[in-house]
Amino acid sequence: MTTRFFLFSFVLLFTLSACNTKKEESKSIVNTKVAQPTPSEKELSESLYQIQDTFQTQDNQPFTLSQLKGKPTVISMIFTHCAFVCPRLTSDVQDIEKKLGSDADKVNFVLVSFDSERDIPAKLKEFANKHELDKNFILLHGSENTVRNMGVLLDVQFEKDEDGNFAHSNIITVLDPYGIIRFRKEGLGQDHTQTIQEIRKYY
Amino acid sequence: MKSSQQLQSKAGRQSLFILRIFIFTLSIFFLQIADLQSHPTTISKTNGSKPLVKKMVLVPAGWYQPFLKRATNKPIAVKALKMDETTVTNAEFLTFVKANPIWRKTKVNPLFADKNYLAHWKSDLEIGTGNLNNPNAPVVNVSWFAARAYAQWAGKRLPTVPEWEHAGNGKPKDLKNKTLIAYILEWYSKPNPTILPPVKSTYQNQYGLWDMNGLVWQWVFDFNSFVASSDSRGSNTDEALMFCAAGSLGVQNKEDYASYIRFSYRGSLKGKYCIPNLGFRCVKDL
Repeated sequence: MTTRFFLFSFVLLFTLSACNTKKEESKSIVNTKVAQPTPSEKELSESLYQIQDTFQTQDNQPFTLSQLKGKPTVISMIFTHCAFVCPRLTSDVQDIEKKLGSDADKVNFVLVSFDSERDIPAKLKEFANKHELDKNFILLHGSENTVRNMGVLLDVQFEKDEDGNFAHSNIITVLDPYGIIRFRKEGLGQDHTQTIQEIRKYY
Repeated sequence: MKSSQQLQSKAGRQSLFILRIFIFTLSIFFLQIADLQSHPTTISKTNGSKPLVKKMVLVPAGWYQPFLKRATNKPIAVKALKMDETTVTNAEFLTFVKANPIWRKTKVNPLFADKNYLAHWKSDLEIGTGNLNNPNAPVVNVSWFAARAYAQWAGKRLPTVPEWEHAGNGKPKDLKNKTLIAYILEWYSKPNPTILPPVKSTYQNQYGLWDMNGLVWQWVFDFNSFVASSDSRGSNTDEALMFCAAGSLGVQNKEDYASYIRFSYRGSLKGKYCIPNLGFRCVKDL
C-alpha cells in the first residue's frame, strides 16, 4: 500500500513537473541572475523615495514611499468605483504576484487610488477584502495634490469626469529596492513575462 | 488757568480722535475700492525674502465645455477664482529661488527638473542678459514640479485645465477684426521669437488677464489629464489611440485647431520637462 502510494505520488510529481516546464524555465532565470549593482548617485537622485508626501494605507496608517525600501515594488493606479478596468488591472497585478510564487513575499504590491474624495482608507480596505488582496498589497489614499504628483511621476494620465469617475491610462510600473523606476508596461491583460523577469532582478 | 489747559487738551484729544476715525474710514474705503479693482494679493509666506506682490484678477464662475468629448458630455462648472494677471516673470522666480535653495539650477533634483531647468539664466542667482533674460519676461525653462513649488510658496496653486481654458476663453479687449482662434493660430505659426518679450506685450482679455495666448505656453496642474480617448473604460486599445496619428479625437469643435494644438502640446509634456517657450501663472481660490 505504501509503495503504491509512493509510486502514485512519484508519477503525480513527474506529471506536474512536466506541466511546469515553462515555470522551471523562468525559474532558471533566477538561478542564473547576476546580482544588481548598487545604483550610482545619479540614478539614486531619481529615486521616488525622495517624495515626502504622506499617504494613508487601507489600515489607516500614514505611509511614505520610502517605507517600500529594500524590496522591489509593483505599483499601479486605480480607483475603487471603477466598474471594469481597475478590477482587471488589479487582477493583472495579482496574476504577477501568483506567478512569483513563494517569492511574492519579497515584493511590494502597491495600488494608489486616483479618487482622493471617495477612496478613503475604509473604502480601500473593503476593495482589498473583496478582491482578496493579501498582506503584500498596500493600497494608498492621498490628497488630490499628492495623487497628481504620483501620476506625473509614474506617467499615468488621469482625468476626473463630471460624475466623479476617472478616465485614466493603465500602467504597471516596477521600482527597484531603491525606488528607481526600472520597467513599465501599459495596457490591460498584457503578457507580463518580462515584467516578472524585471522584478526578479531585484530581490 | 489749569482748568482751561485741561479743557484745551481735552478738546484737542477729541478732535484728534475724530480725525483718526475719519482717516481710518477713508483708508478702509480706499482699500475696498482698490480691492474691487485689482484684487491684489500679498504673499505672506516668504521664507525670509522680501514680500512679493503680484496683481491677480477675478475670473468669475462659469462653464467650460471640455474640448475633448467624454462619456458624459456635460459642461464643467468652474468656480470663481483669482488668477495672476500675467505669467510669472524671471524676476519673480528669482525671489522664489533665492528663498528656496533646493530650486537653484545647480541644486535642483533631477527627478523634478531636466537638465534645461533655468538653462537661460546666467547662474543660480543671476538672471543674466540673454535673449530670454529680461527680468520682466515670463520665466521659462521651468518644470511642472518647479511651477507647483513656486505656487505653493506663494500661497497659491496652478490652475486646472477647465480653469485655465475658461479664463483663456475670455474675449480679448482689442484684437481688431480677428477672432481669438485666428489670433492664436497666427501665434502658433510663428517661430519662437529670438528675444522673448516682457509680459503684457500681447493682449488683455475681458477679465483683465494678459497674454493668455501669444507669449508662452503655460503649465496647468493636471496637464497629464487623459487625452487618449473619450472613455478608457471598456477599451484596451488606448495605447494605440495615445498618439495624434490615431486620427480625429472626439472633440467639440472640429474648427478649433488652436485647441487641438494646445491639448496635444499638454499631452506631450512630462513633469520634469523644461522648455524655452513654456511658463506658468498661478491661481488662488476666493
